[in-house]
Amino acid sequence: MGVRLTNVAKTFGSFHALRDVSMEIPTGSFAVFVGPSGCGKSTLLRMIAGLEETSGGEIVIDDRDVTAVEPAERQVAMVFQNYALYPHLSVFENMAFSLRLARRPKEEVNRRVQEAARILQLGEHLPKKPSQLSGGQRQRVAIGRAIVRQPKVFLFDEPLSNLDAELRVQMRLELTRLHRQLGATMIYVTHDQVEAMTLADLIFVLKGGVVQQAGAPLALYDDPDNRFVAGFIGSPSMNFLPTVIAAREGHRVTLQLEGSEHAFTADLSGQAAVGQAVEIGVRPEHFRIGGAGLPVQVEVAEELGDVSYLYARTASGREIVVQRQGSRDRLDGQTVQLSAEPRHVLVFDGEGRRLR
Amino acid sequence: MSPMRRLENIVLTVLTLMAALVWIFPLYWGFLTSIRSEENAAGSVSILPDEFQLKAYLDAIFNTKLMLWYVNSIGTATIVTVLVILISMLCAYALSQIRFPGRRLLYGLVLGSFMVPGQTLVVTQFILMKDLNLINTWAGIILPQLIAPIVIIVYKQFFDGVPKEMREAVVLDGGGEYTILFKVFLPLNWGITTAMSIVTFIGVWNAFFWPFLVVTSEDMMTVPVGITQVNDAFGIHYARLMAVAMLAAMPVILAYVIFQRRVTDAIMISSGVKG
Repeated sequence: MGVRLTNVAKTFGSFHALRDVSMEIPTGSFAVFVGPSGCGKSTLLRMIAGLEETSGGEIVIDDRDVTAVEPAERQVAMVFQNYALYPHLSVFENMAFSLRLARRPKEEVNRRVQEAARILQLGEHLPKKPSQLSGGQRQRVAIGRAIVRQPKVFLFDEPLSNLDAELRVQMRLELTRLHRQLGATMIYVTHDQVEAMTLADLIFVLKGGVVQQAGAPLALYDDPDNRFVAGFIGSPSMNFLPTVIAAREGHRVTLQLEGSEHAFTADLSGQAAVGQAVEIGVRPEHFRIGGAGLPVQVEVAEELGDVSYLYARTASGREIVVQRQGSRDRLDGQTVQLSAEPRHVLVFDGEGRRLR
Repeated sequence: MSPMRRLENIVLTVLTLMAALVWIFPLYWGFLTSIRSEENAAGSVSILPDEFQLKAYLDAIFNTKLMLWYVNSIGTATIVTVLVILISMLCAYALSQIRFPGRRLLYGLVLGSFMVPGQTLVVTQFILMKDLNLINTWAGIILPQLIAPIVIIVYKQFFDGVPKEMREAVVLDGGGEYTILFKVFLPLNWGITTAMSIVTFIGVWNAFFWPFLVVTSEDMMTVPVGITQVNDAFGIHYARLMAVAMLAAMPVILAYVIFQRRVTDAIMISSGVKG
């Protein structure tokens, strides 16, 4: 096992930043901690790095309990959001810093730095100072500094947040390539669910210091455990509408929209009583337009060429986002009917738990 | 540049030049006096050099203990500077980077020490130095001058401003406090250390009150204290007196000329104009 956390907790005074977090990250996988700011994802990463003490629980890296081990002894390397490069040292010396502290032989230092520079295409920049590099290059140096240490686990704390959109996409690809090339365990923290979806083998969604759900990106997208995960993963977000279970026949339930004649249908195998108030969730791309359905007024249509987003409102004033593929009909100001297949209608109870 | 702006610039330049003249004139007058003959020194009112001789300087160098005072001044000022920088830097580093109980209180004390005028401590310091048998020694001159809250505050502000990730990066790289301070933090801005060294050195070089009290033996005097003895030794001989004054001021003047920008930075940093 690459990294295993058992009942890890962190408190700051009376504030619980993390509660009973347990997880297993297999060796060689790319795990992403994602969640809104203040959810505890960075704290968790820093605890794995040893930069924050744990208030409880156990951290195991590569089958060794490191809960009380010094950061430098944990065989982890970290890439920081602001790079944290040493500005007075050249790129070479930045990357060699940890090896020099460990008093590695000169030729080994040289070899390992050159190797990392080759992987990251930093060769020509080795004599330069960090201030002479672009943001993307600096981030690569920060990654290079991690690579030369040959750690068991790479930790990334929102490393792409300081880059512009284009560079972010490029660096995302580079990180995926790097992960394949090195085959090392990587843990990545971000608040950007797109980064999480594109990079991860395994996503942990956090909120309020609790892991809401863990799983493969598409598993979280298709089959969220609760309303928070359903709303957080996916862009634009899932649409939520308050309904009441009006009827049930076997697995098929009819969900009557509040303040509307219209109803959606969904399949539920578990318990759900007729008359129970529930919320339904439908992803923007799962709405069909036309035929009988929920009437909504399109307020704004964003045409992006291959795809368009309709920002609409129901009669009761709820905002709905609909994604359309291909069609270029202008629908601004028009009223359209929305429906969805039962398998695309997710149901959540009053506490936000998914009903299946 | 608009004509109004140009006029403003000219006026400002003229005013600055005039202020500079007011400052430089006593120095210039002292220099003129020092290169005159003793007979002419008190009488001449010419603002241009009317004679040039180095007799006063030779007198000052060979008939006083000026060279010995130089050694004392350079020795004590260098040691105080090195120790002040080292002690204050370590103190500031601890206050800024290390979490320990009483940290705020300690920093409060450092800030509070600003409110105590140095002169009020002179008697107790003198008694202490006497009890330690340090009267008429370098250690006696040096020890009370090692307390420099301003240097601690400037260093602390500097360390506070370094992103915490920088420290964490070193910790993860396997470095301890020594590495963080000496291999990363200080090299980030040597300007602070240079500036603080210059300010401290000049301050100690110019210090008069404490060395004047703690030293009674002519052999242990620093330059500013020694100058008072020249007056006694020569009676009122203006040329020689000015020659000694010129020689005494020379290191500071040279420091200003060589490190002009650094000195300005130093004064701005320690007065809080610039961080």
